[in-house]
Amino acid sequence: MKKLTQQSCEVPCKGGIRALNSKFKICSKDLPNFRICYKALMLLLCLCQLLAAWKLPSLSKLSKAKKGVEMVAGATHKISEEEEYYIGRAVAANILSQYPLWKNKALCHYLNLIGKALVLKSERPEIFGGYHFALLDSAEANALSAPGGIIFLSRGIVEMAENEDELAAILAHEIQHIVSKDPLQAIKSQRMKSLGTFAAGEALGSSSEVLNIFKDSVLDITGTLLQKGYSRGQEKDADLGALDLLVAAGYNQDALLAMLEKCQKIEKKKAKAFSAHPSAAKRIDYVSDALGKASGKDMSVRFARFKKSVSR
Amino acid sequence: MKNNVCLLGFLAVTALLLAGKVLTVKVLRTQLLAKPDFLSNNLAAIQKGARLELIETQGNWFLVKNANGSKGYVHQSAVTESKVNLSGIMPGKKGASDEELALAAKGFNEGNEKKIRGSKGYNFAAVEWVMDQDVANAALVEFIRDGKLQ
Repeated sequence: MKKLTQQSCEVPCKGGIRALNSKFKICSKDLPNFRICYKALMLLLCLCQLLAAWKLPSLSKLSKAKKGVEMVAGATHKISEEEEYYIGRAVAANILSQYPLWKNKALCHYLNLIGKALVLKSERPEIFGGYHFALLDSAEANALSAPGGIIFLSRGIVEMAENEDELAAILAHEIQHIVSKDPLQAIKSQRMKSLGTFAAGEALGSSSEVLNIFKDSVLDITGTLLQKGYSRGQEKDADLGALDLLVAAGYNQDALLAMLEKCQKIEKKKAKAFSAHPSAAKRIDYVSDALGKASGKDMSVRFARFKKSVSR
Repeated sequence: MKNNVCLLGFLAVTALLLAGKVLTVKVLRTQLLAKPDFLSNNLAAIQKGARLELIETQGNWFLVKNANGSKGYVHQSAVTESKVNLSGIMPGKKGASDEELALAAKGFNEGNEKKIRGSKGYNFAAVEWVMDQDVANAALVEFIRDGKLQ
């Protein structure tokens, strides 16, 4: 670039371009070179912008098939929200083939109101198909969260709760599992790896092998939810996350402790309450340590509507 | 004069790219809200795939304009940022997105759900009943207010 001078030119600069600093002016004799540089710079900037937006697809020399393989291989590491939704529906369908749905519309509506009040304060308030809360007609005290936001509470655990805050505590724990995508962690890694090894043509088609992996993944998750259980770390995170969620939504954190104490009593009777979880005693320990102050808010309306919705 | 044309060209490309800051709705359905608050008035229902022009960001919320020109807020968890579509003026891939192809590849999709519907061990009729139990936004607002929740 030719020099810029701080002194005014003797000859008026016709067509000269004013620099950012008004003291700088370009002498007419420098203009031709300056214009060339200026044009080149503008052209370069335009090209950079377009290339950045375009993500250079035309520069890729990958064939479509090769790209397909890459995508499938990449897919072994990440499950999208839409996939989470479809696998969650299949998991829910599998659970509902083993446990009858309790079609109590009024109670289900109440449960959805509590659940959605909590969800708004969670780290994943909007998920692909939204959150749905439902009841299983089972005397076992249990709660389950399918991937993609379908959460089940058994009749047994609803009957254990003595107020709305306690129901909220159970739901908050299950919502935290969805937020952390814990159910998806139950899919055996070998299934995802085997998907990645398919040739692109086969994987992009409707191979029966892919369908079998879908079914096996559903069984992996259902097995974890109904029998094997999450890891202790996952459960602890869900409990501690639930405490934060309860406070954020305006519920009392103590409700989680109260529910765990009830579970502990059932455990002593060797019932199946939360059999998939770590022992209630251990959970009571760390939940007690993490408890904050009680909200102290008037709970009379919550007590009344709980009594109305959960008729005994 | 030529320099001015260059400058205008640069500004035009910049404007095109900035104006092309488009968000795409990634959830099945959500709402365009009057305020950055789930409990504020619902201005319009928006469906998966709808494109929204980003106006500004406010924390976890985006102020956007929809195809009808209505301005409102959507939560960041409901949308994904998409690049301006230059397929009409630039060479590049068309058709299914990478995400759609990867989804089809893995089989966790509607197609395979249809294949297992009716099979032993899956009760999709009950799942549909569960999905149909929804709550209206107004009912949720009232529930939160009456229960002295937040």
